[in-house]
Amino acid sequence: MKKTFTIALAGNPNCGKTCIFNALTGARQHVGNYPGVTVESKSGRFVLNDLEIRLIDLPGVYSLSSSSPEEEIVFQELTTPGIDLVLNVIDSTIPQRSFYLTTQLAELHIPMLIALNMSDDAEKKGLRFDLEKLERYFGAPVVPTVGNRRNGVRKLLAKLAETLEKLETHGSPMLSYGPDIDDAINVLSERIESLKLEACRNIPPRFFAIKLLEHDSCVRKLAAFAPLLEPAEEQIRHLRRSHAIDTDTFLADRRYAMLAGACRDAITITGERRREISDKIDVVMTNRYLGLPIFFLIIYCTFWFTFTLADPLMGYIEDGFALLADLVKGIWPETAAPYLRSLLTDGVIGGVGGVLVFLPNILFLFFAIAILEDSGYMARAAFVMDGVMRKFGLQGRSFVPLVLGFGCTVPAVMATRCIESERDRKTTILILPLMSCGARLPIYALLIPAFFAAKYQAFMMWLIYVIGVVTALVAARILKSTLCRGEGEICLMELPPYRMPTLKSLLLHMWDRGRMYVQKAGTIILFTSIVLYFCNTWPEKTDFSTDYDAAIAELSANQEETDSQSEAVAALENARQAERMEYTISGRIGHAFEPLFRPIGFDWKLTTAAIGALAAKEVFVSQLGILYAEGEADEESAPLRERLIEAYTPLQGFCIMLFCLLSIPCLATLAVIRRELNSWKLTFAEAGGLFVLAYLVTFLVYQIGSWLQIGTKLIG
Amino acid sequence: MSKKRLPCSRECGVVPVSHRPSGVGEKLTLAELPVGAAATIIKVVPNSRGGRKFADVGLVAGTELLMEAHAPFGGLLRVKLLGTSMALHRNDAVNIILENK
Repeated sequence: MKKTFTIALAGNPNCGKTCIFNALTGARQHVGNYPGVTVESKSGRFVLNDLEIRLIDLPGVYSLSSSSPEEEIVFQELTTPGIDLVLNVIDSTIPQRSFYLTTQLAELHIPMLIALNMSDDAEKKGLRFDLEKLERYFGAPVVPTVGNRRNGVRKLLAKLAETLEKLETHGSPMLSYGPDIDDAINVLSERIESLKLEACRNIPPRFFAIKLLEHDSCVRKLAAFAPLLEPAEEQIRHLRRSHAIDTDTFLADRRYAMLAGACRDAITITGERRREISDKIDVVMTNRYLGLPIFFLIIYCTFWFTFTLADPLMGYIEDGFALLADLVKGIWPETAAPYLRSLLTDGVIGGVGGVLVFLPNILFLFFAIAILEDSGYMARAAFVMDGVMRKFGLQGRSFVPLVLGFGCTVPAVMATRCIESERDRKTTILILPLMSCGARLPIYALLIPAFFAAKYQAFMMWLIYVIGVVTALVAARILKSTLCRGEGEICLMELPPYRMPTLKSLLLHMWDRGRMYVQKAGTIILFTSIVLYFCNTWPEKTDFSTDYDAAIAELSANQEETDSQSEAVAALENARQAERMEYTISGRIGHAFEPLFRPIGFDWKLTTAAIGALAAKEVFVSQLGILYAEGEADEESAPLRERLIEAYTPLQGFCIMLFCLLSIPCLATLAVIRRELNSWKLTFAEAGGLFVLAYLVTFLVYQIGSWLQIGTKLIG
Repeated sequence: MSKKRLPCSRECGVVPVSHRPSGVGEKLTLAELPVGAAATIIKVVPNSRGGRKFADVGLVAGTELLMEAHAPFGGLLRVKLLGTSMALHRNDAVNIILENK
């Protein structure tokens, strides 16, 4: 059997690692999550001269010091046996920074290949690398690459094949921290050596000795190293005493000093551009006064792009699913298994179609986000928004997901991945359902014109959105001081130079997100559609208060074809539908929960509709349409509005909107929240919390409003 | 001063001379460094919050840096060091002691 080589791709954030990964593996990649954390794991396969290669894309890190989830993962992956080669990608325009990680990787003593990426840019900057010197210094072959160009990795592939041939004979690095620290390292190494630890089978004791001196949390956690903690402290005390080392980060200090020397030795510069284009752009983009207006303009353009371009496509998809339903209805005779037929066409195709309609939106949105992300603007956006968001206990990176929440909460929750701080991410996800999503718009669009005079309508709409935003920000504050409490994590964010995004990486990014969304539609939505369909149709009522069939037949037989006649027939059909609905599980649940919902101004019909809205918020409108026997209802439905005016007061109308705004989001949102938070408990707490919040607020508004006689009569 | 021309000596690369504050040799914290000014780190307060993270990106004694910008409303500072722009908070920046050049 042929051996499969496992290669780990390591490098700083923004070093072009993903470009190299995409160039090597193409679309054959698998994206997942590391268990327990929200760090994305990516791996891919490719074949090189008959060698089967598995490439693991490690998260981008500056160091191996286990001070973030990403660094812990990189540490674990690299210290686990099975990695044949580390491919270290370097941003060669900033060699000194990038080689910092390289020194630590070299200490692992796993065969390594160093790729000097963006070598074209480095050349333009006038940097000349003495490859031989670097190779000797790190004990690893070095090869220049250009990750974002088609032929940029050809040399890398050749070198890779060559390196894999002679893995056994890889060199060792010449790294010295100075005699004082080296002595301490050696003393500790010998102690570790003598313990004959399992961990040291692949990794040399020296590596662990350095980590112990650095107070590395991952190494200190390992039980095997417990007897070494005290000797390590002893060495540190000794260094402090006899060598006047007073910082706790003395190894980092020495490493940078060591690299400064190495770089001076191996790299020459022939010319220097004082100010790069990227810096010039940033003088405007992150300007104290212009930064925010520019940011809002760019966000506006993103939405415009997303919704304008996606709109016609959404129409096609909608038509496509309608066509598919008709096709199935046409092929499947009405008499053969009518339940199954209706389940498939109305339940499954309708339900899944209703969600897949948003696919173009999702794709375009993530394409636009990928442009912002890959070009480097996203970091600037976070930079200029940070001050504002921090006042609410959030941070700069929370802003974009929150704005996306006005469109659809599902992609918004997915977009929170760019927030590095786990606590801020959690807070942002939990408050996101309060940003009024696009699917709630039909509810407002139905109710506001029904209950409020034209001059108040825009204000009411604005008010609802503002209530959502204010509640979200207050909730963020509360969450930050309770559930997500803790000293703010330190913020250290790189603002990478602007780069032209490559189409390939944009498309891959878009495809990743799109695929997740389709998977969701195929599983959770499919399931809920079936359940909801079942609840809305079963048990079937056969025994009606009036004989509708006869009444309809009578109407049709007696009179000529007129408009009034067909209207009367439609009204009868709808009345029958309403009676059916009341008899079904949904109707019964509505009746059963009515006492609970009465204090907030809901009757059983509204209760049923609110339960239906769990599948998708806009279902509220269509459910009401069925219940008020107006048949196919949408937000333009004038007759439904008249019925609502008869049945409810403006206060109730307002309470309906309030409840729909604040209450449990749709199941699709809950499903994606569960996946992103990786916790059932928090997801249930979120659903429960939002319900209680919505109930309390609506209760107060309804009761106080009724007591003060506000909005109990129609205004205007 | 040929050393300064090298990209890999620990300087930030961009030093607009005209903006340099006058007090050469004066000690101040990173939070006090005005926009456009360059300085060298002489010390990071031991055991300060996030000290290790800062050390890993090169915020260690001896590194030269340039204050590039202050974010609107508040505490984020943008600093260029070792060829990269990094944003960090004012409350953390007070732990980084500099010396004007």
